[in-house]
Amino acid sequence: MSDIDIKRISYLAKLKLPSEKEEFYSNSLKDIIKWVDNLKKVDTSKTEPLHNVTEKTVSIRNDEVSKSNSVDDVLSNAPERAQNFFKVPKVVE
Amino acid sequence: MKNSISQIKKTLIEKKISVGELYDEYLAKAKSGNNNSFNLVIDRENNISSINDSQNRYDNGNPLPLDGIPLGIKDLFCTKGIKTTASSKILSNFIPNYESFVTQQLLNDGSIFIGKNNCDEFAMGSSNETSYFGPVINPWKNKNSQKDNLVPGGSSGGSAAAVAEGSCVASMGTDTGGSIRQPASLCGIVGLKPTFGSCSRWGIVAFASSLDQAGPLTNCVEDAAYILNSINKHDFNDSTSSNHQREDYLIDINNSFEKKIKIGIPSDYLEDVSDDILNQIDNTKKALSKHGIEFVDVKFKTTEYALSTYYILAPAEASSNLARYDGIRYGVREGGESLDDIYLNSRTKGFGDEVTRRILIGAYVLSAGYYDAYYRQAQKVRRLIKNDFQRILNEVDFILTPTTPNEAFKIGDKLDPISMYKNDIYTVPTSLAGLPGISIPSGLSKNGLPLGVQFIGNYFEEKSLLQLAALAEKELSFNE
Repeated sequence: MSDIDIKRISYLAKLKLPSEKEEFYSNSLKDIIKWVDNLKKVDTSKTEPLHNVTEKTVSIRNDEVSKSNSVDDVLSNAPERAQNFFKVPKVVE
Repeated sequence: MKNSISQIKKTLIEKKISVGELYDEYLAKAKSGNNNSFNLVIDRENNISSINDSQNRYDNGNPLPLDGIPLGIKDLFCTKGIKTTASSKILSNFIPNYESFVTQQLLNDGSIFIGKNNCDEFAMGSSNETSYFGPVINPWKNKNSQKDNLVPGGSSGGSAAAVAEGSCVASMGTDTGGSIRQPASLCGIVGLKPTFGSCSRWGIVAFASSLDQAGPLTNCVEDAAYILNSINKHDFNDSTSSNHQREDYLIDINNSFEKKIKIGIPSDYLEDVSDDILNQIDNTKKALSKHGIEFVDVKFKTTEYALSTYYILAPAEASSNLARYDGIRYGVREGGESLDDIYLNSRTKGFGDEVTRRILIGAYVLSAGYYDAYYRQAQKVRRLIKNDFQRILNEVDFILTPTTPNEAFKIGDKLDPISMYKNDIYTVPTSLAGLPGISIPSGLSKNGLPLGVQFIGNYFEEKSLLQLAALAEKELSFNE
């Protein structure tokens, strides 16, 4: 197992770990990855990955328009809104 | 002995109690809040129209299947107009505009929600200690150290404690790797995880979508059948919801089996376990043997890989599912100069330690260079685990295991994550295989704490699984 770059992983997950906690998470992650490493010894060369355990259950509905949430419903939990929009800091100059 | 749903309905039909009086009785216990089992309790005024409608139906002689029954709902189910937090800071102000499929079925059948049960944050935990609103306390005490507060198990710990303390008749929980069965076992109640795909996941705050399943925590097996009858329906809004024909789980629940039943006990599950746990299996075996049920030894080939598989797949799915919490559309926003700062600050301050840890594990196993070695390999091993169960279920009708490797432990006792994860050693394999499992109370430990056994059945065969559990319950029931 190679070393874990905790800064990179946390950025991928959009988390900004406080520097005093980086070591804590880094060690914890190392322990867990080491613990799950036993899977590498399982021969899966002839095995397909399993995505849905019941496999045959997927059902498809007719594509019909139905009424769901209103704009106000959708925006009712927004931390900040302006008219019918979610409000965020400026992203383009 | 607590009253079952059918007993309570009888007293309502006979007018020995009104729906409002019944609600008040449970509300008073829920409000006392000694065990922190609720994040939110709903006052009578806010349920008054449901209470009145329910009473009218009793008065008119046509009550619905769950009419007037006060239920707890794990704070992971979206409930329309009622705060739904997943016990997380990041959702601590979230009020859904819609009702989850499962809770809508319960409302359609006349039940009344008494409140939202505390749980581990985003259902990630086995002790209910990761909740932003503080740990839940198990109503049971170790008779040799009465002062200690014990964990109720998790993640549906608030649900289990609430049913055990009598502040709701039953509670809806969710189970990803044991989150219904393990707390049910540690609190001395019944917990059913149905087959994956039975009960719609629509409107449940997502943790790991290929594993999450809703199910009831109840005082008895018959109550679990009542709830399952209500919630087990096909739903187009969940693409993994199965559209097979559902059965009536209540009818025949007390009938004896028409054919000879064979139950497998996996001997590899019982290596190095305590006498307390072994006794549960022995007692169950003895009790059911009297009914002509045969027990055989079975051997799994994949048990040692189950937890590793789970702790790759569940965090991977969680890291993806929890990407939606960004402080923009709902939930708590932490300020920042740029959009990216808002994402980073809201997520970092909004998630607790365990959730952060699992997001990091997930991000790692899905990242470039590690995806095939971890995530894809785990998905392949998951198929081997499923095949392993199918091989065994070709030989036997059911599998009997302990539900947990230990009794309820002290709050704060297990600090290291891996020892916490090992709590789910008996429940995780069933979850990975997607099979139904039910935990029923089987006896008390030397310390006077409840323990449970788990019965595992075949895909979508909850009917016979409940029948077996009801039979075992009659033989094993113990008084508090």
